[in-house]
Order: sequence, then structure tokens, then C-alpha cells
Amino acid sequence: MKLAAASMFVAVASACLATAAFASPEKGLEIAIEADSRDKGFGDSTAQITMILMDKYGQSTERAIRNRTFEGDNEGDKSLVIFDSPGDVRGTAFLSHTKKADSDDQWLYLPALKRVKRIASSNKAGPFMGSEFSYEDIASQEVEKYTYNYLRDEKLNGLDCFVIEYDPVDPKSGYKRQIVWMDTTEYRVHKIDFYDRKDALLKTLNYENYNQYLGKFWRSNRLVMINHQTGKKTELVFADWKLQTGMTERDFEKSALKRTR
Amino acid sequence: MITSASLSFAIALLLAQSAFAGEVQGTLSSRLDFYPDHADGTASEGRSAEVKIDVFHDLDESRVVGEFIARGDEKDSGRRITEARQAYFRTPLAGFDVFVGNRQEFWGKAESKNVVDVINQSDAAANEGKSDKLGAPSISAERYLGIGDLQLWYISSFREKTFNDSEAHPSSGLPVSSAQYARKEGKDADDFAARLSSFVGDWDLAGSVFYGTARDPILSVASGGRALNPYYALQKSIGLEAQYTGDVTLLKWESLHGTQSSLLGAHDFAAAVAGIEYTFYGPFETMWDIGLIVEIQHDDRPQAAANQFGVAGVRLVFNDIADSNILFLASADRKADQSVVSLEASRRISDVTSVKLTSQFYNARTTTSTFGQLSDDDAVTLTLNMFF
Repeated sequence: MKLAAASMFVAVASACLATAAFASPEKGLEIAIEADSRDKGFGDSTAQITMILMDKYGQSTERAIRNRTFEGDNEGDKSLVIFDSPGDVRGTAFLSHTKKADSDDQWLYLPALKRVKRIASSNKAGPFMGSEFSYEDIASQEVEKYTYNYLRDEKLNGLDCFVIEYDPVDPKSGYKRQIVWMDTTEYRVHKIDFYDRKDALLKTLNYENYNQYLGKFWRSNRLVMINHQTGKKTELVFADWKLQTGMTERDFEKSALKRTR
Repeated sequence: MITSASLSFAIALLLAQSAFAGEVQGTLSSRLDFYPDHADGTASEGRSAEVKIDVFHDLDESRVVGEFIARGDEKDSGRRITEARQAYFRTPLAGFDVFVGNRQEFWGKAESKNVVDVINQSDAAANEGKSDKLGAPSISAERYLGIGDLQLWYISSFREKTFNDSEAHPSSGLPVSSAQYARKEGKDADDFAARLSSFVGDWDLAGSVFYGTARDPILSVASGGRALNPYYALQKSIGLEAQYTGDVTLLKWESLHGTQSSLLGAHDFAAAVAGIEYTFYGPFETMWDIGLIVEIQHDDRPQAAANQFGVAGVRLVFNDIADSNILFLASADRKADQSVVSLEASRRISDVTSVKLTSQFYNARTTTSTFGQLSDDDAVTLTLNMFF
């Protein structure tokens, strides 16, 4: 009995030591920087997106949106999202200038009024178009927005992955932490578990159907977000990815919102 | 001088060829109005329908854009209209984007009133004067200058404000007679405007100038008390706009300063709106956004219903799949002699339909005040929109 307790103690202690030995903020940051640098140079991208929203009974509704992204140099990326359906939001456009450290700058274009409206970006935890994606989920992911902790290596769907904890720097984030599975060869994200502010598992995002563009840049063609607390699900199905299309920064100024159609 | 009708027709022809290219979209709106407080001899309810066709077509670097409206109303001829709200050709020229034709443009920052929004005339009869506009026949140019966006406007002819019939709502009860102008060219007088808008960090800023015919007429009772006479003054003004966007607080300012020349001579005026909007994101463990809005309006022009109004309101955004939202606003002048309460609620029904409920309730201590004349114009309106 004593022996069993002692060996249990040894096992627990060595497990703690093992975790202490492998969990590493430095390695987490290194991996995040490497993943970011592997995507450097895409210039700009465009894609057509079908957003499929499903409630817990499996009833679904669809939206069509277009996405344009411009790679940032010193600052974060700039992105433009244009809504094509449903009909009542047709022509609405959302422009975001991502900041590495500060809050992002965001504007909304309302086509009926021809009005460009600056909006507060602190609703980052709020749902994007009533979906299970929040504004911060769809925002461009900058290295500076998190602190990192490499946890372990683990196989996911047969792929060797790093498992890394991302802790949002911004206290207005809806998450306490995110656990990210990233493959060790191409540094592509395959799965993210999102934990809410109370540290309860809130959502899981799976990235599927990766394709490589221009011999370098990987883009997923299907993102599936499941909300464990509500049973709702949102899918983003990407089509027609194009990179280095020749758009300029001018296409991402706030005045460009009026001519997005 | 652009002949607006012929230009619209030319643009319609250009656009006709795109009809099969998926560049045409339509909106069919049918609307029911109820007037619970209507005076004897005025309408107790109204029915109207509107078709809006949006169309565009690209020609190399250039684009042709059209937004055409046809609106019918069972009783109110003031609300009936066929209108090219937009019908323009846009092309790059000498570093500018140049627009020729009817265009709609929004300037301003505030929620309850936009005093600097001078480009378009209001299609006031359509929708309680809120957001519907008439296209401005114009040549305009836009350019990004590094420090901000520059717009230059030449507006070639004047559009008169639309008014509801005297038996319809809202109305003073008097028919509106033909307009008179301070400028001898009348409707053909040219207007000029320019605006520079920019943002620095959390601040969005803009400054503008305007020389032209005032959009809002001065109304006076004429014909021995049997008609309202609209008189359009000459306006020279400078507009200023600022918005600070904080984490949860928006601070808004817009002001218009200038002179207005009418039969009574030239008078300096000032009009301004200052406001604050504070939003609670996801309160009470919900997905909702609750915004609290407070604005103060000042306007010392004779067109204003009162010199000062205080406005308070709540915006409720449910962030649900149906995009449900509610906006409640209450305005009162300084002595609380006049007030109006309005409510707007909308939600999506399906991918191709949405519904909107709006209402206005006017209150006034004296029947001679602007809102006093509108006291039988309380309205509840239900609009069903179909998108195709």
C-alpha cells in the first residue's frame, strides 16, 4: 500500500516535471513567429465565402460574402468584407485596419444611406453576422495579439502537430485562452479550442481542405466552428482563392468602401 | 448644365445591356401606414409600394451605376415618384475619380440629425424626411490626397423638397404652393461644394464648404392662409465634423456655420449637433449590444422647428441570425413645448424578405408650433421588403 502510494507520488511528480520541462513560452512564441513568417509575402488575397449557420436542430441558413485582404508591412493586415446576401444586407461592407498592439480601426458602409460609419472595435467578442464566429475570430491574426505557451507534440488526424496555448493580450477578448493544433511540417492551423473568460470550453474551430497557392501559401477551404455551449454551428466554405491580385493599399482606404460592389 | 432626364435615359440604355450579367438587383417594398390621431378629412391609413432597381456595369476602368425608384401611393400624390436616385458614369481622370450624373452622397456623423449633409435634397414625403434622398444632378470628383479624401462638387440644377398632400401625413394641412427662390436663376442656379475628410488614430474628421441653394425651404403661410409658400434661400456655409471612437464611447460633433440670404436680407446662422453614444456589449450574459444615445441639436435658422432640441435614445442590437434591432429616440425642445418620440424595429424574415416597423408620435403645447401642426400626424408604419 505504502509502495503503491510512493510509486503514485513518483509518477505524479515526474509527470509534473515532464510538463515543466516541455511547456515553453519561448518555444510557443518561436512557432508563432515561424508560422507568421511562412505566410509573409502573399501580398493580397480575395475569396468568395459561403457562410452556413446551423442551429442546434440542424436548421440552416446561408450567406454569401466576399473577402479581400491586403498584407500589412509595419502594421497589421487590412481587410474588406462585402455582403452579397441575404438581401437586406446586400452591399454592406466592413473594413478593418488591424493593429499589432492597439485596437483595430473599423468602418461599416451602409449602402441604403451611402454612409460610411466608424465603429468601435471593442465588440470583438460579439458575433459576426449572427454567426458562431466573433469579430476577433475573423480578424487578421497578428503575432503581437497573444502570448504563447508550447504545451506538447500530438498527432491530430494522423498529422504531427504542435499544441500551443494562445493567451489573448487584450482584456476585451472573449477568450481566456485558445489551444491551437498546428502541423509541424507546414505550420498550418488545424484545430482551435476556445475557452471563455470563465475557462469553460466554448467553441472548437476545425480547418479543412488546405490548398497551396503560388507554391508557398496555404489556405483552408472549409472552416467549421462548433459552439459547445449552445449546440450551434457555423461553416465557412471558401471558393476561388486568389493571391497577389495586384490590389493596392488605396483599395483598403475608407473611401474605397463606397465602391466595393 | 446637364439635362438630368436625358442623361438618366442614356445611362439606363448603357445599363440595359448588363441586364443579363447578374449586375441587376431589385427591392420591392410594400408599406402600410396607420394614423391613429388623424384629423377629420385626413387619411386614417395609407398604402404604398415601391420598386427599386440597382444596377451597375463595368467598362474597363469605368463604371456605370443606376439606382431607380418607382413609388406608388393609394392616396398621397406627394409620395408618388419616379426617380433616378443615382444614374452616373464614373471614370478615372487626371488622378481623380470623376462622376457625371445623378448621385447620392452622405456627409455627417450624428444620429438624430445631419446638419452638414448638404449635397442631396431630401425626399421628405417618402419617409418622414428621414433618409430618402433625391439624386443630385452633378459633376463630382474625388481624390485621395495622403492627408485624406478630397471631394469637389458641381451641382447643376436644384431639386425641390418633396411634400405630402395636405390630406396626407405628415402635413400642416395646407397645400404647398410653387417654390420661390432667393437666386434669380431659380432651379437652374449652380451649387458648389467641397469636402476633405480624414482620420487620425481614434478621430475621424472632416471639413466642408457649400455655396448654393439651401435644401430646406422657409415655409410661410400665403394666399390668405390657404397655402404654404416654400422659399429657398441662398446658403454659404462651412461644415465641420468630428467623431472620437473609444472602446465603448463614441463622441460626435457636426456643425454648419454660414449666412443665409432671403427676402429678409442676409443672416448669419449656426446649426450643430453634439452627441455621445455609449454601448454595453453583451450585457447580462447575452449577445446583445445596448447603445445609449444622447444628442443636443442647435439650429437658429427659421426652417428649424425650434432652436434647441435634446435627444435621448436607446439602440438595441440583438446580434441574432435575423439581425433584429430596435432604435428608440425621444426629442424635446428646451422648454418641452414640442416633442417627438420615434421607434424603429426591423428584422429579417428570410434570405429574401425583411420587415420594419416604425412609428412617430408628436406632442406640442401650442397648435401654432411646427409639431403642433403635426399633432394629427402620429404614424405607425409597417414595411415589408422583398429582395430579388
